[in-house]
Amino acid sequence: MATIEIERLAKSYHVYQKSEGLAASIRGLFRRQYREVQAVRGIDLQLEQGEFVAFLGPNGAGKTTTLKLLSGVIAPTSGTARVMGFVPWHRDNAYRRRFALVMGQKNQLWWDLPAQESFRLHQQIYRIEPDRFDRTRDELTGMLQVRQLLSQPVRELSLGERMKMELIAALLHSPEVLFLDEPTIGLDVIAQHNIQNFLRDYQQRRRVTILLTSHYMKDVVALCRRVVIIAWGRIIYDGSLEGIIDRYGGHKVVSFQLADGQIPSDLGRYGEMLPEKPPRAKLRVERSVVTDVLGRILANHAIKDVSVEDPPLEQVIAEMFNQADDLPKDKLAEVPELLSEE
Amino acid sequence: MHTRPHYFRVLLTFLRNSLVRDMTFRANFLIDTISSMSWVFMNLGFYILVFRYTPTIGANTGWGKHEFFLFLATTLLINGVIRGLFLSNAIEFSEQIRTGTLDFALLKPIDTQFLVSLGRIEWSAIGPFACGVLLLVYSLFQVHYLPGPLQMVLYGFYLLCGVAIYYSLMIAMAATSVWLGRNKTLLDFWFYITNFSRYPMEIYTGTYGDPIRWVFTFLVPVLIAVNVPARLLVRPLSPQSREDWLLLPFAVAATLGSLIVSRWVFNRSLLSYRSASS
Amino acid sequence: MYARVATCWTILRISLEERLVYRGDFALGTLMRFLPIVTQMFLWMAVFDGAFGAGRGPGQQIAGYTCHSIIAYYLLTTVSRAFSSMPGLSSGIARDIRDGTVKKYLIQPIDMLTFLMLNRVAHKLVYYVVAIGPFALVFYLCRDFFPEHPGGLYPGWPDAATLAAYFASLLMAFLLGFLLEATLGMIGFWFLEVSSLLFVYMLFSFFFSGHMFPIDLLPGIWGELVRLIPLQYLAYFPAAVFLGKVTGPELTHGLLIQFGWVVFFLVAARTAFRRGVRRYSGFGG
Repeated sequence: MATIEIERLAKSYHVYQKSEGLAASIRGLFRRQYREVQAVRGIDLQLEQGEFVAFLGPNGAGKTTTLKLLSGVIAPTSGTARVMGFVPWHRDNAYRRRFALVMGQKNQLWWDLPAQESFRLHQQIYRIEPDRFDRTRDELTGMLQVRQLLSQPVRELSLGERMKMELIAALLHSPEVLFLDEPTIGLDVIAQHNIQNFLRDYQQRRRVTILLTSHYMKDVVALCRRVVIIAWGRIIYDGSLEGIIDRYGGHKVVSFQLADGQIPSDLGRYGEMLPEKPPRAKLRVERSVVTDVLGRILANHAIKDVSVEDPPLEQVIAEMFNQADDLPKDKLAEVPELLSEE
Repeated sequence: MHTRPHYFRVLLTFLRNSLVRDMTFRANFLIDTISSMSWVFMNLGFYILVFRYTPTIGANTGWGKHEFFLFLATTLLINGVIRGLFLSNAIEFSEQIRTGTLDFALLKPIDTQFLVSLGRIEWSAIGPFACGVLLLVYSLFQVHYLPGPLQMVLYGFYLLCGVAIYYSLMIAMAATSVWLGRNKTLLDFWFYITNFSRYPMEIYTGTYGDPIRWVFTFLVPVLIAVNVPARLLVRPLSPQSREDWLLLPFAVAATLGSLIVSRWVFNRSLLSYRSASS
Repeated sequence: MYARVATCWTILRISLEERLVYRGDFALGTLMRFLPIVTQMFLWMAVFDGAFGAGRGPGQQIAGYTCHSIIAYYLLTTVSRAFSSMPGLSSGIARDIRDGTVKKYLIQPIDMLTFLMLNRVAHKLVYYVVAIGPFALVFYLCRDFFPEHPGGLYPGWPDAATLAAYFASLLMAFLLGFLLEATLGMIGFWFLEVSSLLFVYMLFSFFFSGHMFPIDLLPGIWGELVRLIPLQYLAYFPAAVFLGKVTGPELTHGLLIQFGWVVFFLVAARTAFRRGVRRYSGFGG
């Protein structure tokens, strides 16, 4: 049995439609119009124990909604999900003891207290044995190098330090399944890197199952082999990182340098020129005609050096999202997560 | 491996953490205590004023000045507990439900209502509570009557019932913000309803008074909360009607009923919780 | 001039729309507002019962109030408060100062006091539209509590001149309430934490504006002290005017003093704002 099993999971919301203008506002006092918004439209997904999977998608695609469904914070409209055999939204204590959710945009630590006081509270709530609690806390604070910050009020910590504390709070009870929602959001590059390293080490040590959403491709590339892409509430890709390029990278990048160091002006006929420092040149070439173009270049010019590369992953995914964005144009406004960003 | 958390220890941790926080902001804590106590003193002043013009509240009700002060002390004790333990939590809960920050509470392997109701404790409520105790003792000496041990035990028990009734009403009201949206009036609403129990229930008589007494005794039993313990203490020996004695078992039933209904409303509200992103 | 009026109208309209969105708050808030009065009514009936037995004749008076007229007094203070109370005004100003929102009044060509005043007028107008129903109902049901006035327009109503004075005092109660609370809010320029101070003010206002009890109940020196401070003009004074407790030269005098307080707090609010802004920009925001 897989650790996480999701079948035809769907969640829709009623959203109050606010109308413009004074007259409409008065009418709204008496009669309200609601709309149905489908945040998740029937997804199927399976995660095996020990997998570290990235969950990608444009804003409002349904990533966070799915994570919330899996954490039992909200109940679905239809469909089923089981995590370690539990139905999340039944919120069994037994289930809640075995997973954790970390949200980069919400914090759970007491703002005015040192983090260790919040940790103590967690110890009581999760009923962690004192020696095990001490051991886990020391291990985590050691790995994240925040031991000396434990007695400082949370409000005095930097964003990155606070995120580390949030992670520790979530991991104190040694969850077997971990949901990470944008854990590196708003952090600087170094802090991001620290968190990535920690997550990788921790996952390798403990073999926990992790589902991660992130806007930073660096997180994903550093951590996950498997990627699930969701758009408009549906899963549109599930497979390896490299597979995305095979499937969605419709072109390759050919870069070369001519023997005479010149750049002929007629390169445009082979493909779209990409910016590059001379004497090298770079062309964006349709995948199907790469061999053909290479042959023609080799035939017409004396080549000093040539290489054919895949386009950068980030770019492929960005393009893919753009395509997805093009589908139902007005859908973006329908997702409650966006609507609430007034 | 225990799957149930140790609720009492969690409560102690709440108490401890809240105290640590209050002590970090000592000046604030002090001002809070003083300002809530000045509310008590101003109220006391008002009643002293009222009793300048009348010996009793209502004819032949037995609520003379010091009897009424015992009633007032009872109110202060119940309100002190409510304010200290639950009030800011209920407000916070209604806010969390609205802004979608309840998520973390729902993740914890502990009863959500417990966690939400007691998470932050206001130690400054000790001030008015202490005023209540002092007023109780002072007035007991003034009425020249010392209640027996059984009475004191019953008084304590019905105080707890009163707290439970108030708490149920408050948490149920906070939970409704899931459906009502921006529920800034929660606090007002709470004050308006409990306002009815500020005075002895005997004042609600006549064509309009009887229905009010009825509604706030049987439908929303806030009158029970203060009146039953206060009466137990104040008028134990005066001849009482059968109706009065029936209030005692009824208060227990009302307490249980309130707790059950509020629990139900609370759970319903969690089902409707949508967890909007920030 | 025209542009100024247009700006004002836009602010007013937007504020109106904003207020109308939260219907849940509204319906509840208006209904609930009368509940404390109901309790107060029963308390005073019980007090009169206690003092005089069950009879409620006109001769049975406490500090010049009969059982009926004291209830009428409480009902009238709800009207005064509907004009003079400014929920969230001072704390809103203090918050704007704290989080820097106040800068927008320094950058944009609108005067903060005018903006807030229009916002408040909208707030009040919407409230009156919703509240006039419940108010009319309650006053109709309680019409017998209002004492007869010699020469009154209608049973329970005073004569035209008194009524005019009453409306003038209500209008000034609104202005005074607004300016007083605005001035208090500006203390936020000097102290970051003003919520406790505001709480104390609310406490005082509740007891000594006449909201909790008619201030002529206060004996001796207390009564005289309370009459020296402006709070009575927020609730007690308009109600007393309506009930015919203040007449003749005393009435003119009272209205003039009320007006004096309005002017005083207008100057105070303006001065506080100017000085506060100077201090604020001195710190670099």
